[in-house]
Amino acid sequence: MTTAIENVRLAFGALRANWFRALLTALGVVIGVASLIAVSAVSAGAQRQVAESIRRLGANVILVDGEFISVGAGQSATDRTITPADVAAIVKLPTVTAVAPQQDMESLPVSAGRYRTVTRLFGITPAFANIYNQAASHGRLISPSDVSFGRSVMVLGLVPAAKLFPGENPIGRTVRVGSHEFQVTGVQTRKGKLGGESLDNRIFVPLPLVLRVLLGGTTTKSVGVRVRTEADIQPTMDQIGALLRRQHNLPPSYADDFSIEDQAAFVKEAQTATTTFRLLTFALGGIALLVGGIGIMNMMLVSVHERTREIGIRKSVGADPLRVQLQFLIEAVVLSTLGGIAGVLGGIGATRLITSLAGWETVVSPGSLVLAFGVSVGVGLFFGYYPARRAARLDPIAALRYE
Amino acid sequence: MVAELDRTPILELEDVTKAYRTGEVLVQALRGVRFEVSDGEYVAIMGESGSGKTTLLGILGCLDRPTSGSYRLVGQEMSTLPESRRARVRGERIGFMFQAYNLLPRATAFKNVELPLIYAGVPRAERRPRVLDALASVGLADRAEHRPNQLSGGQQQRVAIARALVGRPSVLLADEPTGNLDSASAADVLAILDRLHRAGTTIVMVTHSHEVGQRASRILNVHDGLIVGDTIIGTAA
Repeated sequence: MTTAIENVRLAFGALRANWFRALLTALGVVIGVASLIAVSAVSAGAQRQVAESIRRLGANVILVDGEFISVGAGQSATDRTITPADVAAIVKLPTVTAVAPQQDMESLPVSAGRYRTVTRLFGITPAFANIYNQAASHGRLISPSDVSFGRSVMVLGLVPAAKLFPGENPIGRTVRVGSHEFQVTGVQTRKGKLGGESLDNRIFVPLPLVLRVLLGGTTTKSVGVRVRTEADIQPTMDQIGALLRRQHNLPPSYADDFSIEDQAAFVKEAQTATTTFRLLTFALGGIALLVGGIGIMNMMLVSVHERTREIGIRKSVGADPLRVQLQFLIEAVVLSTLGGIAGVLGGIGATRLITSLAGWETVVSPGSLVLAFGVSVGVGLFFGYYPARRAARLDPIAALRYE
Repeated sequence: MVAELDRTPILELEDVTKAYRTGEVLVQALRGVRFEVSDGEYVAIMGESGSGKTTLLGILGCLDRPTSGSYRLVGQEMSTLPESRRARVRGERIGFMFQAYNLLPRATAFKNVELPLIYAGVPRAERRPRVLDALASVGLADRAEHRPNQLSGGQQQRVAIARALVGRPSVLLADEPTGNLDSASAADVLAILDRLHRAGTTIVMVTHSHEVGQRASRILNVHDGLIVGDTIIGTAA
């Protein structure tokens, strides 16, 4: 026990005697550890954002889009290929837990009194709230009876709520869309942004109303389909494809008149991209640590050489090879550990800087700090071993005579 | 006193040879050395430079191994002992004095003297009084916190004596202990060795100086790797 403390004290003494050299040597470890911590903090932040995005989009949601039917078939110009019968058939699939047919109108001018704004209108059913985790901060969401009775009610996103009713409570007030009036029943909670689009600049009304009053026709633009687990996504997409081809009586030579996509697919793609980026930067941090370790090895070799006589003296008064090895190994570990501590502090600082300058979300996990610390101790052990072993193996008589 | 009667052999060498290679040349430094040193003797090994006397001291101090032959220290064979055990023997049975003192330059006199005790595993509380005693015995009680570069050559060699004795070794080995000292300092150091001899310490010293050699109780002459003379000078007690 005493020898360990003794060795640590010796190590500090030896490093202090050559403090500038030690500082330069430790820099490699400092940079390596700091970059590992910063990278893992940035990627953990990105990961959290991805998870948050998936939560906002709705997890395990498949989006089925219908194509326009060529005009001339005697139907409304906005009619699409997905019919209420298609929706009913999708509901019956065993892996499907919720189905939300929806119709939306982009860049729609709306007004309330003298205030007007442009927003995106969604015609939805109550299943929408279930699939997309929609909740109301004020009032209530679209209810089943709103849909079945065809009530002219509306739920506002935060942006139109603020634009149309600045500083006022919008609940119970009237919003005008073209010539039709809707009564506001609720305001949606904050959803944030997704891929540049504000999920808060939206308004929601019962689906039948959109079809009957605003657009005409019975088909919907798209259907959100929630499945039980992530593993169900691909098989269910295949089943829906086959089902719709049957429903639409498409001959094998005809292309699909609809498209099916995994809602979170692009988020997952982004995730893969961040994973690649993360691996790359981890590799860079690893290289910095490797270079730092080699620096430590180099310095320790020089130090062993310079202190040949000291080693001889220690051996002549009873230091066995193991003691000598331990002394130099601990010196290397103390050096790399000091570098590791500085690296941890530097990494936390760099992470804060990234957050404040680039505005990226970052998460410094205690696990990454412990890991970085452990890695720096490991670097000292690994790269200190060979020089320490060399010191231990010095011939005492040659070492004593060394000038 | 008691040491005079006690004839226990401390060092026993039988047919010790040592050959080493410097570049292409094979040097026969020792060519069959045989002698014993008994408890309490003060032996001076004398010879020209290159005679093999320093090589001999290296073997006696377990810093070096004989190429062949047997070397026993207090009855234990040293030539075949593994390095870690030899290190312990050096720390516990042998005290060294070198011509160049060989103190650690960054450590205080106290720290230098403490070193053998640390490696021998003596507990801290016990180390301190022993170190201070050893320093006091060479007249340096007030220099404990001085570093070697703050001490004169004579003082440094006295610190080295304190370091050599603090572990209570069986034998004190000295390699030209006065070689780097002015005559006054040399006299101080030799006086300490005389005193240690009178107190029963076994001393083996290598020197090429006749004046220094005469202080011993026995002189071994080494020439060309062989003992060519073994003279008892008389009792110093």
